[in-house]
Amino acid sequence: MKGIVFNLLEKAVSTEFGEETWDKLLDEANLSGAYTSLGSYADDEIVALVGVASKTLNLPPSDVLRWFGQRAMPLLFARHSGFFSDHAETRSFLLSLNNIIHPEVHKLYPGAITPVFDFGVDDDGGLIIGYSSPRKLCALAEGFIKGAAEHFHEQAEIEQQQCMHEGASKCVFHVRFHQ
Amino acid sequence: MKALPNVCSMSDSINDAAALNAEIARLNRRLLRATTARHEAEAIAERGLRDLFQRQQEIALLETIATAANQATSVEDAMCHALAAVCKFAYWPLGHLLLSDDGVGRTLHSTTIWHDESNGQYDALRALTESIAFGNGTGLPGRVVDSGAPAWVNVGSHDADAYPRLPEAKRAGLRSLFAFPVMIGTDVMAVLEFFSMKHQTPDEALLRLMAQIGIQLGRVIERNRTKTKLMHDAHHDPLTQLGNRKLFLDRLQQAQRRAKRVPGYKFSVLFVDLDRFKSVNDGLGHQAGDQLIIATANRLSSALRQIDLVTRGDEDDGGDDIVARMGGDEFIILLDNISCEQVPVRVAERLMSVMAEAFVLDEQQVIVTASIGIVQSASGYEDVKNILRDADIAMYQAKQQGRARWVMFDTAMQQKALRRLQLESELRLAQERGELWLAYQPIVSPRDGLICGFEALLRWDHPIYGAVGPAEFIPVAEEIGLISAMGSWILRHACRQLRTWQHDSGRSMTMSVNLSAMQLSHHGLVALVEQTLNETGIIAGTLRLELTESAITAAPEHALGILLQLKQLGVKLSLDDFGTGYSSLSQLRRLPIDTLKIDRSFVSQMDLHDDKRQIAEVVMMLAHILGMDVVAEGAETVAEVKLLGEMGADFVQGYYYFKPMRADAAEAAWRGQSAMRT
Repeated sequence: MKGIVFNLLEKAVSTEFGEETWDKLLDEANLSGAYTSLGSYADDEIVALVGVASKTLNLPPSDVLRWFGQRAMPLLFARHSGFFSDHAETRSFLLSLNNIIHPEVHKLYPGAITPVFDFGVDDDGGLIIGYSSPRKLCALAEGFIKGAAEHFHEQAEIEQQQCMHEGASKCVFHVRFHQ
Repeated sequence: MKALPNVCSMSDSINDAAALNAEIARLNRRLLRATTARHEAEAIAERGLRDLFQRQQEIALLETIATAANQATSVEDAMCHALAAVCKFAYWPLGHLLLSDDGVGRTLHSTTIWHDESNGQYDALRALTESIAFGNGTGLPGRVVDSGAPAWVNVGSHDADAYPRLPEAKRAGLRSLFAFPVMIGTDVMAVLEFFSMKHQTPDEALLRLMAQIGIQLGRVIERNRTKTKLMHDAHHDPLTQLGNRKLFLDRLQQAQRRAKRVPGYKFSVLFVDLDRFKSVNDGLGHQAGDQLIIATANRLSSALRQIDLVTRGDEDDGGDDIVARMGGDEFIILLDNISCEQVPVRVAERLMSVMAEAFVLDEQQVIVTASIGIVQSASGYEDVKNILRDADIAMYQAKQQGRARWVMFDTAMQQKALRRLQLESELRLAQERGELWLAYQPIVSPRDGLICGFEALLRWDHPIYGAVGPAEFIPVAEEIGLISAMGSWILRHACRQLRTWQHDSGRSMTMSVNLSAMQLSHHGLVALVEQTLNETGIIAGTLRLELTESAITAAPEHALGILLQLKQLGVKLSLDDFGTGYSSLSQLRRLPIDTLKIDRSFVSQMDLHDDKRQIAEVVMMLAHILGMDVVAEGAETVAEVKLLGEMGADFVQGYYYFKPMRADAAEAAWRGQSAMRT
């Protein structure tokens, strides 16, 4: 996992719960917490941090990830506003993930492993998003989608129909956007 | 970090608390500085990495393009690779090739060559693109052609209306279009265009990169052009742009294979050679010669096309005729898939008729005829080169038979041609091997039967062929350029013999030596005769040079000049075979001739044919009126000799008296007469 993800998590936690909460999470997870955006760190570390947060907040880990994804979006915008500037709506922003945003991520963070999304349209014109990654962070992806919708002042109605945690080969979301 | 002070009292503790807060604030500021510095360092590193990544990608792209350009089997192949590589590099989902139609980029051909990463999502856009004629400023490719520079446009930009495909591109989820030219020099050879899913304004780096790719691909086109040109040049004659020998042989080979495979398939080869091209080239100059060759090429080609239309119409698949230039004034024609053996003859007749019209070269009218040799495919050739050889042989026969005609090859010709070739190589060796020798035929006065002189006659005894007649080998010697050397040898040899005999006999016997037409046109003849006279010391008047009428008529003015110079040396001149050609009396009067020789055809059996006798009588009278002597050739019977004597022939030459004989026999002959007289 790239250090930028830890940086975003630190910022989200510190902003909402204070810096000492972040320190506490690190202590309880027994992690040094020295993350630089360009570094690569073990996936276990993010799993440990989410686990501690889950216990502390008495929330399932997936809720923690969803919350993080949602909060991370404005932080990403502050750091890389260029990814957003070509888009007026969530839908087109999401559609540019594979072809525009992730390639850019690779340029900034060599060695980053980005998930692959596939897109389709359902009968009602809703977006079908497939997510596939060995990290199985579908909840984080869901949070990102929510956060992106908020950025574009839309509401995302998300329904997850398949999940890798339940043995599916990939996770599938049906998303409808409302102004 | 500084150690905290000890807590001792209240005021101390208040002071300490304040100090502690100040310390915390200071530490927070320090932490903020450190964090800010870290963020800045990360940002710098990110930019650096991004740039590095970008450079690496650019280098990889250029390498990919260069490799593809070097390995491409065709321009299209190289372009395909380039489209894919650029799409991959820039994350563009769709790329397209447009090629210049005319090689200078005025109009663009919207090709069906695409790089498309979608599953049919862009099909409508592609169909629309392929239906548009770009160029003249139409669409983005047109803009690129006009400016010779990269161009781009975004969906929703203020001038979007000028780009007919933007609405369809938008429907397909695309947001912008970028195109750049492939150039050779200042000419746009092709345009590569790409569609992007996001709005974009290419930066300097991208424009530079695409320009480099444009140059690379331009080199591929240039190299391909050069290759095509080399291929063309290797198979075509630069003067006429007709196919050359190599191309012709290739085509002939194909026809040959087809003839073996397809029953009833026939072809024919025509070998066309201009008559007297050399005199045009020498007389009017090489430039006129070249003009004549070009004009001939055009006439032959267009005649062949017309014939093709007339004989085949458009119902037949077959005809794929070709005219090629073999070099010099030789053209060769393949008549492909002909219906019957009459076709090549009809074609030859037609070609001769189109050639018969006067050419205008350098404002001069020039009449040129052609000789044509024909070979039919039915003759069962294995090697196509033999077809050419035989067509050449037949053409040569056409020349031999008087030019301006066609001759169909037959195998007897080949035997003849083969013998000729053998004679050629043997004749070159004959002189040094001592196979050539001179025979002497006495010339006799019919009044007393005494020998007055000799005619020197060249003989060739070949160890295998035996005696080869002069009628056969003299033309060969003329053709291969041996005649001058041979003529000099004869003249010297005969004059030396004459000196010996004159010395030994004490009599002023004469020696007649034949001159060929070619010797007459050779500028060294007068000098040679003069030198021979000086060397041998014989009296010039005892040397008689014999010429044929035809040798003089070929170039009468020139010949007259030479004859006058020879006369000035004091030698006598004889006109050989008089009466057999187009004997021109006015010409006879002008020529400084001393002796007329009456041909054997009038002498033989003249006692039995009145007409022969009368002609001989008239010629003799004519000669005497013009002050010339007469030698009658070929007298074989006593009756002929008696008649000739009565008519007043000055000299007689023939078997009745003597056959041509070797020097020792000839010497014995005159010695015998001398002995009788004494």
